[in-house]
Amino acid sequence: MTTEAKPRPAMELDVRRFTPAEFLALVEVGILASSDRVELLDGVIIEMAPIGDPHAGTVDVYTEMLPSGVDQGTLLRVQGPLALDERSRLYPDLMLLRRRADYYRSTPPTPEDVLLLIEVADSSVDYDRNEKLPRYAQAGIPEVWITVLPEGIIEAHTEPSGGRYTHTRIFAPGDTLTVGCFPDIALPVSEILPG
Amino acid sequence: MTTQTKPPPQSSSALNVSVHRFTVDEYYAMAEAGILAEDDRVELIDGVIVKMAPIGSTHIGSVNSSTRALTTTVGTRAIVQVQSPVRLDDATEPQPDLALLRDRADFYGSSIAGPEDVLLLIEVADSSVDYDRNEKLPRYAQAGIPEVWLAILPERVIEVHTEPVGGRYTQMRTFRPGDTISPGCFPDIALPVTEILPGQ
Repeated sequence: MTTEAKPRPAMELDVRRFTPAEFLALVEVGILASSDRVELLDGVIIEMAPIGDPHAGTVDVYTEMLPSGVDQGTLLRVQGPLALDERSRLYPDLMLLRRRADYYRSTPPTPEDVLLLIEVADSSVDYDRNEKLPRYAQAGIPEVWITVLPEGIIEAHTEPSGGRYTHTRIFAPGDTLTVGCFPDIALPVSEILPG
Repeated sequence: MTTQTKPPPQSSSALNVSVHRFTVDEYYAMAEAGILAEDDRVELIDGVIVKMAPIGSTHIGSVNSSTRALTTTVGTRAIVQVQSPVRLDDATEPQPDLALLRDRADFYGSSIAGPEDVLLLIEVADSSVDYDRNEKLPRYAQAGIPEVWLAILPERVIEVHTEPVGGRYTQMRTFRPGDTISPGCFPDIALPVTEILPGQ
């Protein structure tokens, strides 16, 4: 055996895709460990990048700032599952969900339960922008923020139509963000991205 | 389950992400658990479960004809294995159309053939020729399979790849109907190309 790099299959290959039920069964029978950071996108099991400290801290800041609770009629789900479509089960960094009495214990949230979805991206920005964002638009999620840590900006995508968001605003430290469904709540970007 | 080294995650060009890769043990556990069905026509390539193209009738005819040609000439000197797996490493287990295997008393009933058991592989390719040539052939070379025949149906040619060095075959000869081919392992045998590519 030589030590040179082995060829790797390109994804143009016709890979065997998994349904969300099969994906969960892989965890149940122990083929996927519950410690595996994976999600199902279009039937393909994707390994998510490890969460670095800036990423984790940014998620914490959002957790403090977003309007969740009984009074708002919302739940804030952090890195929990979303049943996006019949071929995907994703784990967005944050989702502001319509409040439900069972906290989505019986069935995971679907796109119509999502008011706002937030991704925090460091190395994963291309994946978030090119792979996940169009699928969120396709599913009709009304508002998605991509927090791009390397660029120090937040992209707010709204008005999904025809599989894409037709309105994108870029926010930087100094700006103030508002949530579409809670127009009276303003988030200072400098607290989210201290620079 | 034995402890095995997982292949490292690898960025894929199209998805631009790391797809999760499985070991052969996990691949078999999936079948045991019923997640992969018997009728899933799949093979494991570098930890990725790849669907195999449906086999057309020309492809079937070529496999059947090649099977007869090999069994009648090789006899009991080797085992002719048809569309069954060969385990190249912990994460790669393709199912070549034909494999000529070293004779073994258990007919490989107790364990799947590894690269050291393989004398010759034949892949019959129609729509899958790019996949066979670009994805499978380099892996066969890497595993040290001494000889691979790529029988290309649309062009009616057979590429004979030999002398694997550094993850590639360093010798390739092309044969056409009218020619005969002798496998390196059995130089006394001369198979007419038309018995591998019998026509329609």
